[in-house]
Amino acid sequence: MTTDLLHQAAPAARHRNGAALGVGLLVLIGVLAVVCVMSITLGTRGIGLGSIIDAFRDRDDSVDATVIREMRVPRTLIGLSAGIALGLAGALLQGLTRNPLADPGIMGVNTGASAFIVSSIAILGTQAMTTYIWFGFIGAAVSVVLVYGVASFGREGATPVKLALAGAAISAGFYAITTGVVMTNIDALNQMRAWQVGSLAGRYWPELQYSAPFIVVGAILALTLGRALNGLALGDDMATALGQRIVLTRSVVFVAVILLAGAATAACGPIAFVGLVIPHVARALCGPDYRWILPYTLVLSPIILLLADIAGRLVLKPGELQVGVVLGVLGAPAFIALVRNRSLAKL
Amino acid sequence: MSLTETIETASPFTGRRARRRRETTVTLVLLTLTAALFIATMMIGSYWLKPWEVVASLLGIADDPSIDFIVRDLRLPLAAAGLAVGLALGTAGIVFQKLLANPLASPDFVGISQGAGVAAVVSIVLLNLGAIAVSFAALGGALVTGGLIYALAWRGGITGYRFILIGIGVSEFCVALTGYVLARAELFDAREAMTWLVGSIGQTGALQLRILLGALILLLPVAVMLGRWLSALELGDDTAYALGVRVEVARVSLLAVAIVLVALATAAAGPVSFVALISGPIAIRIVRTGGPVLLPSALIGASLVLGADLIGSHLLPVSLPTGVITGAVGAPYLIWLLATVNREGRGG
Amino acid sequence: MSKLRFVVPAVAAALILAACGSSDDSADGEKWSYKSGDGKTYTADEIPDRIIAQGESAAALLSYGIKPVGIYLSEPVEQNRSLAGFDLDGIEILGEEWGKIDAEKAAELKPDLIVSSYWPVEKAYGGMENAVEESSKKVGKLATIVGPTAGESIETMLTGYEDLAESLGADTESGDGAAAKADYEAAKERFKSVVAEKKGLTALGVSPADDLLYVAVPEHSAELTDFVEWGLDVTIPDSPNPDFPYWENLSWEKADKYQPDLILLDDRTYDTSLATAEKQPTWTSIKAVEAGAITPWPAYWVSTYADYAEQLQKLADAIEKADPDLT
Repeated sequence: MTTDLLHQAAPAARHRNGAALGVGLLVLIGVLAVVCVMSITLGTRGIGLGSIIDAFRDRDDSVDATVIREMRVPRTLIGLSAGIALGLAGALLQGLTRNPLADPGIMGVNTGASAFIVSSIAILGTQAMTTYIWFGFIGAAVSVVLVYGVASFGREGATPVKLALAGAAISAGFYAITTGVVMTNIDALNQMRAWQVGSLAGRYWPELQYSAPFIVVGAILALTLGRALNGLALGDDMATALGQRIVLTRSVVFVAVILLAGAATAACGPIAFVGLVIPHVARALCGPDYRWILPYTLVLSPIILLLADIAGRLVLKPGELQVGVVLGVLGAPAFIALVRNRSLAKL
Repeated sequence: MSLTETIETASPFTGRRARRRRETTVTLVLLTLTAALFIATMMIGSYWLKPWEVVASLLGIADDPSIDFIVRDLRLPLAAAGLAVGLALGTAGIVFQKLLANPLASPDFVGISQGAGVAAVVSIVLLNLGAIAVSFAALGGALVTGGLIYALAWRGGITGYRFILIGIGVSEFCVALTGYVLARAELFDAREAMTWLVGSIGQTGALQLRILLGALILLLPVAVMLGRWLSALELGDDTAYALGVRVEVARVSLLAVAIVLVALATAAAGPVSFVALISGPIAIRIVRTGGPVLLPSALIGASLVLGADLIGSHLLPVSLPTGVITGAVGAPYLIWLLATVNREGRGG
Repeated sequence: MSKLRFVVPAVAAALILAACGSSDDSADGEKWSYKSGDGKTYTADEIPDRIIAQGESAAALLSYGIKPVGIYLSEPVEQNRSLAGFDLDGIEILGEEWGKIDAEKAAELKPDLIVSSYWPVEKAYGGMENAVEESSKKVGKLATIVGPTAGESIETMLTGYEDLAESLGADTESGDGAAAKADYEAAKERFKSVVAEKKGLTALGVSPADDLLYVAVPEHSAELTDFVEWGLDVTIPDSPNPDFPYWENLSWEKADKYQPDLILLDDRTYDTSLATAEKQPTWTSIKAVEAGAITPWPAYWVSTYADYAEQLQKLADAIEKADPDLT
């Protein structure tokens, strides 16, 4: 009964056929599988299909096999998990805050992670990436908590504008810290400018092992929130009237965002636009029901991320172009087109 | 009675004269504050100078060449740069915020500073250009980005929100490019570029300063005059038309002035964050009459920049550039602002 | 009033510069002259003795017993490798951050010469380059700036410092400076002979990063240029990055593209770089790595004969141990 009310109350809800959406999702999963295979077979090193199959079959020690097993497979899996994480985090934030502009970046995840990473390098000396990743994670988490906390001050709670302003304020604070440290410590400067760009290169099985558990847990949490987010879309008052526990939903969302965005950003560096744009694409495909938007985002985001990574590997041989740059450059026109074509300016 | 008069007499304050008095008082106080900070910048340093030593040196009657070097070559350009950059950013900030009806609409967020940044970093790292060329590149970058955002946001007119959204998209694009160039650069080039990117009035060259001062002398009065239209525009496009304001002309000219000021200020000192964002809200809060706040905002900007430079250069154990201090100060201020802002983000 | 502001200091600066020297060739009565890295010859009526120097240049001067009155650095003084071991008592530190020199303290020191190496690419002396604080650049107004050319060959730079020290009155024929030079000549000879013995030995200069392996283009590195000059076959990468021609960017997937007999690892952050490299699954696909033939390459910090001698000896040791038939 409550569900019927929700469906009726949703304004201009183009109610899609559940079966059609299901098929669509399966097709996309198929596409994702193909993209993953592409990610394993394509790269700066040209490796024939035969060698690829050999790499999986024998305990072959050739360089080709090492590249496949030790580099491309974990890289693909990291791209998969980071894509899932960033896309879901963006969708969750957009749903929770009813702000089409929300994404992990505005919660200060990137600047928080940077500030903690450079501080750890300054205080503890230079670190291997696998060590400073943890500090990045903590920094991202601290930032999200701070931003949400600050935005909730005063009346009205965490409205979209206040969240964006809080995000900007906290980001600026962290940026000031980062710059202050980096200007006086050359090791921190070096590590920081490499990490800053957002890349899947140089991340192998260890990084996957550290980040994947968080992302899996976060993704599972996220997928349970579909119904709750639908309720919130009607506005806090309506949602409470319908029996929703808003505070609980908010908390779960933020835990999920911290796990997802924190782990992905710490492992790969700041990657823009995935969390911002993909949920809108998903919404265009499947309508406003979050129980479909979340799974669609979960599948679409890694497709885009991996495709961008593959492009980065092929475009500058024998070097590579980082995925953060590819997405930053391609994502902007996509985002702008989105803004111009849809009436997003509703708060 | 015209709409404007109705609004004015309906004001909670006791009429026009009281409001004018308050506006004048506030402006004079801010002027004094700015002047005090300017003089303090001239006096303080590794070598503390007395005010009459400063004045004597400026007039050319002191006969110690090292005092002359310190006052005229080192501190005067610095103080002048702080003043100019602060005035420019304070003005541009309030214009953006009022025009686009949103406190987030600051040139440092919506891509203009980032456009300047990309241009500067490319010219430092890839083209190995000298300081003056870098400044011109930054200027070009800011102007191009401003124009691009305006063009992309145009659909029968400009709404604040569309401008901001598109600005943020363009901003992230520029940031990605900047990050790429920095990651690839040789360490000394990267350091040079990052130093520029942090924003510091200490890096203002003589030519850039002169251009900025010239522009301010021209544009600040223009902005103040156009500022009258800002209040009308705030009431909404339809009301503004009714009040006789040609909305699109007003908007374009105000935006153009603001963009040019930001571009020149960024060309001079690099992107000094947050000044444009918070000068306006502070001015609105202090003046509190709903009247024109352009001049107070400009003066607050100047005080912020001069103050930040004093703190960054002399009051801390490590010397930090202006941009870091304004960022560190801006953050808590914004947080305080948030505690008192209402849903639409307007002052409560 | 604004014109007055700019005219008077300009005149003052012109007077100061005139007092310190001009670019005419030496005439009678001028006791000091030096041909600097920017191609011009600078002269003065008296031998300058209040010198402000940039970190590495200060080390060079100190190695000849010349003590500057002020030093400016781009990192905290304890982290500067070239100054290690010198007594810096009584020397004013004017800056420990890149791009920042305390111009006021510098003015107080009343210097009559500033020493820093000249970088032809930036057309500027170190510390006075482009996007640096204006006040730092104004330090350049306090006195003449001179220094040898850097970035093209360490050997030429060291000779330049020797000439400068000599012009400033140091005894370069005996004492620590001369002893260090003798050590250097010996080390250089050893290097040359060891290289000559190992026919077919190839070397590669690299700088590993998390996401890419950077391969050095020898002509853009002063040290590698010297080594090539002395007979070492340093592999030249075939596709340098067109935007950043100092290096070729190599994806780690292609780490085995070049197979040298000896790896020269950029020693600016040696331990971190090595740890980063060892993390990469394809690092050991370079045979030299598996054979342990990796040695530090002193990048951008050597400025004294003593330091260069030490580094050359270490390199010679590594070359002796390397196997020229490895690849």
